[in-house]
Amino acid sequence: MMVKIGSQLSEIKRHLIRFATRFKKLVGTLPQKYVAHLCSILFIGILFVVFFLWVRSGSQAARQQEYEAASPYVNLSSLDLNQPLHKTLLKESLRIFHPDASVQNDSLVARAQRYATADLAELQALLRSGAGMTWSDFFNILGMYVSFILTYLPVMVLTYYGVQTLAIFRFVQEKQQRGSYMAQVAQFIRNMPPYTDASALWPQVRAGGLLLLKAAAKGVLLLVLFSPAYVLSYSLRSRFDTDTFFFMILLGVISNGLLITYAQKFYTFLVAESHKGYVQTAVVKNLNASYESFPVPAIFRIRKQFPNHVFQHIYLNARYQYILTLKEQASFLITGLIIIEMALNIHGHLAYELLQNMLYEQYDIILFILMCLFLIVKFTEISVDWWKDYETRRYENG
Amino acid sequence: MITRQIQTFVARLYRQKDKLWLSIWTAGIVTLWIWNRIFLNNPAFEQIQSAFIHTCLIAVLVIAFCCILGWGAAIGLYVLERSQKKGSALALSFLLNVIRSIPQIIGVLVGYVFITMMLRQEVLQSELLVMILMAIVTSLFVFPELADLIRERIDHYHTLDFVNAMLCCGISEHRIIHVEILWKNSLVHIINKLIAIFGIAIFLQCSVDFIISVGLSTNVSPVNLPITLGSMLARIDSKQDILAIGYTLTHLTYLPNLFFQHLQGLTTALLIVFTLLSIYHIANGFAKRYGVLKG
Repeated sequence: MMVKIGSQLSEIKRHLIRFATRFKKLVGTLPQKYVAHLCSILFIGILFVVFFLWVRSGSQAARQQEYEAASPYVNLSSLDLNQPLHKTLLKESLRIFHPDASVQNDSLVARAQRYATADLAELQALLRSGAGMTWSDFFNILGMYVSFILTYLPVMVLTYYGVQTLAIFRFVQEKQQRGSYMAQVAQFIRNMPPYTDASALWPQVRAGGLLLLKAAAKGVLLLVLFSPAYVLSYSLRSRFDTDTFFFMILLGVISNGLLITYAQKFYTFLVAESHKGYVQTAVVKNLNASYESFPVPAIFRIRKQFPNHVFQHIYLNARYQYILTLKEQASFLITGLIIIEMALNIHGHLAYELLQNMLYEQYDIILFILMCLFLIVKFTEISVDWWKDYETRRYENG
Repeated sequence: MITRQIQTFVARLYRQKDKLWLSIWTAGIVTLWIWNRIFLNNPAFEQIQSAFIHTCLIAVLVIAFCCILGWGAAIGLYVLERSQKKGSALALSFLLNVIRSIPQIIGVLVGYVFITMMLRQEVLQSELLVMILMAIVTSLFVFPELADLIRERIDHYHTLDFVNAMLCCGISEHRIIHVEILWKNSLVHIINKLIAIFGIAIFLQCSVDFIISVGLSTNVSPVNLPITLGSMLARIDSKQDILAIGYTLTHLTYLPNLFFQHLQGLTTALLIVFTLLSIYHIANGFAKRYGVLKG
């Protein structure tokens, strides 16, 4: 019997050594940045698991303690904590007995109100929640996580397209030396001849009015693009259903200044590229560098191509450099989506759940959601690095 | 003569977009202040005033802390790499990468939760101290951008001959980095980044304050935190004012009421959006004027 166990143990040991050797070989072949990503996932993962187990062990006792502190005020027949007057009276009474602990008093009243207003089922759930995250919570959050990813992916794709389109449009406009609409209005007024005939004046007024209208529309568009999601959503809430999936995507794309900020970054790459020597060489060698007859519809195409124009090369090089900025864009985009879900109190969404659990101090669920969000960022970073490597290999081979 | 001088001044201002937008921002804020002084009730006016001042003060503090943290991280990394302390350099770089991978809003929100915990335990008493802590928390998740820029500038200049030439002349490395590279050749880039950080700080702070005031208000009384534009916007009367914009979209005749009856919410929202827009243009204008885009 002992011999059998011994041989089995040595077999397991042999397998482990083989696995370790293969793993080491695999890690050895991976580029350093991927190893760093994996290490950071591992490190943060271990950190989260440790904290998770730690808060789970302490949460039940803490919830019980919290309930015991609040319970004397919960079931008083003369006190209805739903009424602001009663709530204030309780606050004032506590202040008389404990004058040096005003913030603790406020928290106690808030907790007492929460327990007093909860019905029996809610109360049981509240007290039970001290035991930590249940399997049902786990699957619920997993569903929300999938929904969050399904929102994140289209917003990422749309903003990537929007960023490039806006930046190229601006670059071409600058090259065409078009001033802002307000400058055009000023120029228009300065060049206006002194008409006396009303019929000749009308077309001029119409042209000037159109310019002013365009300037106003651009101003409103800029204000929309810079608006935080909550400002935009509350402005439209009374007219549209702002809690839908499509509205979330739309808000994610146009609000929080995401589009305009990263379009500026792409534009910076375009400008920097356009000053490089190879562009001047291409111009000297008679490659088309005129922006007057630039094909504007090509700017709005999904697959952007500008054949026989020097801009094709500027664009390709700028796009290659922008790939790494996608990491930053992804992180900012996730920040934007979290703001949307939290600020608009969209029920059944991941960030809203995170906020609710912060409110009820369910630290294990908070940690789990934070880990999920960290993983999205990390996987985006790994994908971006892989894409960059792929593009680098493509250009090196070409 | 005076007309020509004015024309020259306006033309110069138009060319220098950063100064133009700084003037537009200042003029906009002053106009808004005068309008509110006349038409908004005094308690709300005073609250908006202090919310704006607090918001700007925290954003300025964020810039100060970012400078310290960004400089410390970049120079620390450089020194550790140079002194062959690979383990420490790797650890610092790993830490910076981990901070980058945390969505900023989550980091700031968690930081604010710690601040409110301290407030609940009455560890923090002074409002200024709370604002300093809020700024530190925000800068913790924003400074890697500045650290990256400083590292990039140092690495770029290290590829040029003048660094080696100066080292041969016996000039200390500390002087080359701080005076020749950072002060003389990168100040414009750093200022440009700091202007952008000012905008990010305002955006993050307003968003977190709004979220805390809307979502966590039953647990953490917003009265404990200094009033900012975000918490001001989260108030029920401000939200009602913002909702009025939607109503106006289909009832255009209601438009004049926005300027007199819904001033609290609209002013707060406008201050946030207009400030973000102006800062974006100021940063771009500054970059263009000093040729930051050309590298």
